[in-house]
Amino acid sequence: MFETMLSQSTFFAIMALFVLGAITALFFRKDDKLANLASSFFAILGSLLGIAYSIAAINSDAAIFYEIKSSFPLLSFNFNIDHLAAFFIFIISLISLFCSIYGIGYIKHYYGKYSIGGLGFFYNLFILGMLCVVTASNILFFLMVWEIMSLASYFLVIYERDKQENVKAGFLYFVMTHIGTAFIILALLLMYKFTGSFDFFAIKESAGSIPPLVKDIIFILALIGFGTKAGVIPFHIWLPSAHPAAPSHVSALMSGVMIKTGIYMMIRIFFDIFTDIPIWWGGVVLIIGAVSALLGVLYALTEHDLKKLLAYHSIENIGIILFGIGSALSFSSMGMNSFAILGLVAALFHTLNHATFKSLLFLSAGSVISKTHTGNIEEYGGLIKYMPQTAFFFLVGSMAISALPPFNGFFSEWLTFQALFEGIRSMGAAYRWIFIFSAGSLILTSGLALACFVKAFGITFLARPRSEHAKQAKESLFSLKFGMAALSAVCLLLGLFSGFLSGIFNNIVRGIRLFNGYEPAFSVSQSHIININSGFSSLSAPAIFVVLSLAGIAALAITRLLAKDQKVKIGATWDCGTDLGPRMEITATGFSRTIIMIFKGILKPSKQAEIEYRDANMRYFPKSRTLVLEISDVYRKYFYKPLYNFVLKISGQVKKIQSGNVNAYVLYIFTALILLLFFAV
Amino acid sequence: MAEIIIWIIQILILPALSPLCVGIIRKIKARFQNRQGASIFQPYNDLWKLFHKDEVISRDASWIFRFAPFAIFGATLAVSASIPIFASFLSNNFTGDILTIIYILAIGTFFLALAGLDVGGAFGGFGSSREMTVSSLAEGGLLFSLLVLSFVSGTTNLFSISGTIDSLSLASLLPVVLAFLGFFIALLAETARFPFDNPSTHLELTMIHEAMIIEYSGKRLALIEWASASKLLIFITLGSSLFFPWGIAQSLSLSAIIFGILVFLAKALIFCLAIAVIESGIAKLRLFRLPDLLLFSFILSIIAIGLTI
Amino acid sequence: MTDYSSLQSLMIAAIFLSAVLLHLTKKNSSAILLYFIQSLAIGILLFRPLAENFSLIILLMAGLTLAIKAVIAPLFFLRLVKRHQLKFSASTYLNTPLTLIVIAALAALTNSRIFSHIASIEPASQKILSLAIAVVLVSFFLIINRKGAISQIIGILSLENGIVAFALFSGLEQSPALQIGIMFDLLVWVIIAAVFISMIYKQFGSLDVTELKHLKE
Repeated sequence: MFETMLSQSTFFAIMALFVLGAITALFFRKDDKLANLASSFFAILGSLLGIAYSIAAINSDAAIFYEIKSSFPLLSFNFNIDHLAAFFIFIISLISLFCSIYGIGYIKHYYGKYSIGGLGFFYNLFILGMLCVVTASNILFFLMVWEIMSLASYFLVIYERDKQENVKAGFLYFVMTHIGTAFIILALLLMYKFTGSFDFFAIKESAGSIPPLVKDIIFILALIGFGTKAGVIPFHIWLPSAHPAAPSHVSALMSGVMIKTGIYMMIRIFFDIFTDIPIWWGGVVLIIGAVSALLGVLYALTEHDLKKLLAYHSIENIGIILFGIGSALSFSSMGMNSFAILGLVAALFHTLNHATFKSLLFLSAGSVISKTHTGNIEEYGGLIKYMPQTAFFFLVGSMAISALPPFNGFFSEWLTFQALFEGIRSMGAAYRWIFIFSAGSLILTSGLALACFVKAFGITFLARPRSEHAKQAKESLFSLKFGMAALSAVCLLLGLFSGFLSGIFNNIVRGIRLFNGYEPAFSVSQSHIININSGFSSLSAPAIFVVLSLAGIAALAITRLLAKDQKVKIGATWDCGTDLGPRMEITATGFSRTIIMIFKGILKPSKQAEIEYRDANMRYFPKSRTLVLEISDVYRKYFYKPLYNFVLKISGQVKKIQSGNVNAYVLYIFTALILLLFFAV
Repeated sequence: MAEIIIWIIQILILPALSPLCVGIIRKIKARFQNRQGASIFQPYNDLWKLFHKDEVISRDASWIFRFAPFAIFGATLAVSASIPIFASFLSNNFTGDILTIIYILAIGTFFLALAGLDVGGAFGGFGSSREMTVSSLAEGGLLFSLLVLSFVSGTTNLFSISGTIDSLSLASLLPVVLAFLGFFIALLAETARFPFDNPSTHLELTMIHEAMIIEYSGKRLALIEWASASKLLIFITLGSSLFFPWGIAQSLSLSAIIFGILVFLAKALIFCLAIAVIESGIAKLRLFRLPDLLLFSFILSIIAIGLTI
Repeated sequence: MTDYSSLQSLMIAAIFLSAVLLHLTKKNSSAILLYFIQSLAIGILLFRPLAENFSLIILLMAGLTLAIKAVIAPLFFLRLVKRHQLKFSASTYLNTPLTLIVIAALAALTNSRIFSHIASIEPASQKILSLAIAVVLVSFFLIINRKGAISQIIGILSLENGIVAFALFSGLEQSPALQIGIMFDLLVWVIIAAVFISMIYKQFGSLDVTELKHLKE
């Protein structure tokens, strides 16, 4: 069955389905319902086929390579689907399946306001672009589809163009992604120059002929370029504005899948194309990962826009994925490829997990926002009574992202920890401390993420409504609930089957050239016990689930035993004698203020207080008080603004060439012509 | 067969003894304050009383409030089954990993904090906020102190650690001692003892744990109090069995087991005494002083790691 | 063909000379006259291949080119000048002595080693090709130097003449496509001249490009 699945026609059928989705969406753009149905239908079909195809590809051992020559000289449409690419196709298809199902109901909010046909067109184009990005095997083709993916997502970000901040966010995203693309082009062109070919396979063959200094430069350029897409600090400034601006199912795709394409290319370049890896690469990636993780979660704590909070958590989780990649780089440069496999398995597992729980969180957030018409957490409250299923799914997502067993986040973080522990044990002096720093950052991040999601879930769903918006919320439509429910189930299943999945990831990683033929440092037993390094650590995912369930049942049983006849009375919350109102509850600002003040060196909060007195001379009785709490954006202020001013100043100088005088322009052409003739001849 | 009995004792002993532990601490503190103090079995009476009372639940509370006590108590039960108490020859490859138990306990913290927020009262909100602040910073010191033991003994499985540390030479003990200091600070933080939290206060300025559970009553309150006591005993057990595992039963023989249980009880008593002395001797610290203390615990553990490898 | 080489050299010299003289005229009508002379010379050159193999198409093309370049275009410009009363062309940037120095420099440049490489693609008519390049460069300079729009357009047309001369002598095939290309180019320029000059004049009141700096609403 798998073999029939795995044919060229299937792959191109997937592409064709998304193209059809895009075209039919445009075709039906006059009719909102039809456009929605058409684009969603084809997207769902394409995703299903994609899931089946990628599972078949991962199961088979054959190398799959499709090539379509084009009439342009160096450009040929090469697709290479090895295990790594198949895995990413799986992630893309899985998440887009549930997002598309969710979208059927969610898009109804846009009927009559914006063009549904345009949304469907760019949505399908976006997914198609991502699928091509992870399978492209030719530099020029890759850059083409990378650009398609970025452009499609840009149009999706500015979809709700009536809101000014969305347009600004889109512009920032556009600029940042093209800066990243510039770095990527530089890196890829350097690779072309030293290997003489645009084809990834040919580059792999002659990767040894690239001199070490050039390899280091390519590493830095690729790290910056793909890091901008992935959202590592300090190139992340587009993420918190762009992800909230897009429609929620698109935010889920962008945050869960698109930033992973940066990770995919990093893995492809660092591990598949290059072989000899200098030791400092791993250190750099680990440090960047540590900084991204910690700062991502700290900024998430300061946010009170639900989607921005989730966007900062994406930055944090990319940091965690970079821990896995960094440790893999360090281990392979020391020759300890077995542990490098462990690190990379942890990174891939976390990629999959983050895609699922982050999409789940964004979909739930979208459900909440679309019903309450505001994104500000401070106006929520008590939504668990109005939207109980959404609340439950958000709870599952929160538990998964905070790495609480038995959900999937715990197991990938466990694997990452194991890779870091091994690094602490076996690395030399300097690198050991980088690993210790990384491990410390990871545990601190994990604790802070838990705090942040207590805040997010608690303030949003629990207690009493804090505003009229919240009181009018209602539960979402079935398609939204279905998408969220399916993702929650996936989170749980991925957690339960961690052992099995680790085995599959092992196969995927061993398909990468650097790790061909190495045994991993972990093993998975028949009873799903993951055993690291012959006894250093072990755990069993199903056992944890069973133990927790049994413990919960035991607690219930004891209570039932001891307290059979007791009644439960419903009363009011203790109100200290006053009337209960929404101002009695804690606010999100108040909740996280303690942590912000503890980290004030990093976050630089500022407080501005103004008082207006009834009698300006005798300042006893205030009439009104205003308090403004702000977190300064350190990156904007110290990194981007000086850069921006510098570029602006230089542009001002260059502007003087444009005098407005026609004769001057012709003079420029003339001089250029003569000079060119000189140098050419 | 014998192993099954040992396992049953292992699972039951911690929940059974934890109220006693709390009672002993209170008694010692009372003595320090020149009072008679309640009997050391008073917490059992309290639990019994609470289980037989009716409950009042706020109308603003949701199913989280109702479910949380079971989650918290279940978490402590799950962890009790995964840590070495009096026998290190048992093997638990499934859940006996340091990261696993830290995160299972985090489930309890998560639901407790949510329950505090659920009722929408002023106390629960800031209680959750303070608790999450302290807890997120304490996890680092806790993990790293246990990590020192892992590096010294070459495994992160708790049972194996206790078996290995038992047979260590005195020379390699310095990192263990440093790690223990770090661990002890984390213990005080996680179990809501001085100087982090006062377990018997209900003043707005000073409560953390008590603020979150202030709306609970009846059987749910009983569960939470019991879970809190169990958490205290879990941490005491970790300290005694992992850092000072002498006397722990290494083999499946009746004398070894009985000796192991007795030694465990003695060590737990010493810990209770230490905690009670600290609680009577120092004052609770201001909230913004606590991160410094937690960072200190973290640094101690890192120094210990630096010494081991 | 050596028989006609002296004719060719004469024509080329006429083209070059008219290009240089364009720099010195002050009246628009003299500029148009010079352009007429230039186009005539090009037309005569275009008729040359007829001597070898009489082809109707080439006859037609050459005749048409001659008609447009030498007759219609100058007449059209004259009408334009009369309609808008643009008797005198606006001044230049560089004064006359400097202009002549630059022209001399450009001419020397074309004879230098570098440009002779280009000219040597057809060794037989190397000198002629050098002159054609010189015409191109000098016309360029005319565009740069002049402030009046009509002079600039004539400069472009003379530039085009120079390119045609180069093409004729560089051994390219005398295909009808080439002629059609040339004519189309001419047509476009005439249209541009007509439309834009009228529009610019209506809008700005003059054709002096320095006055065209400020965009009015």
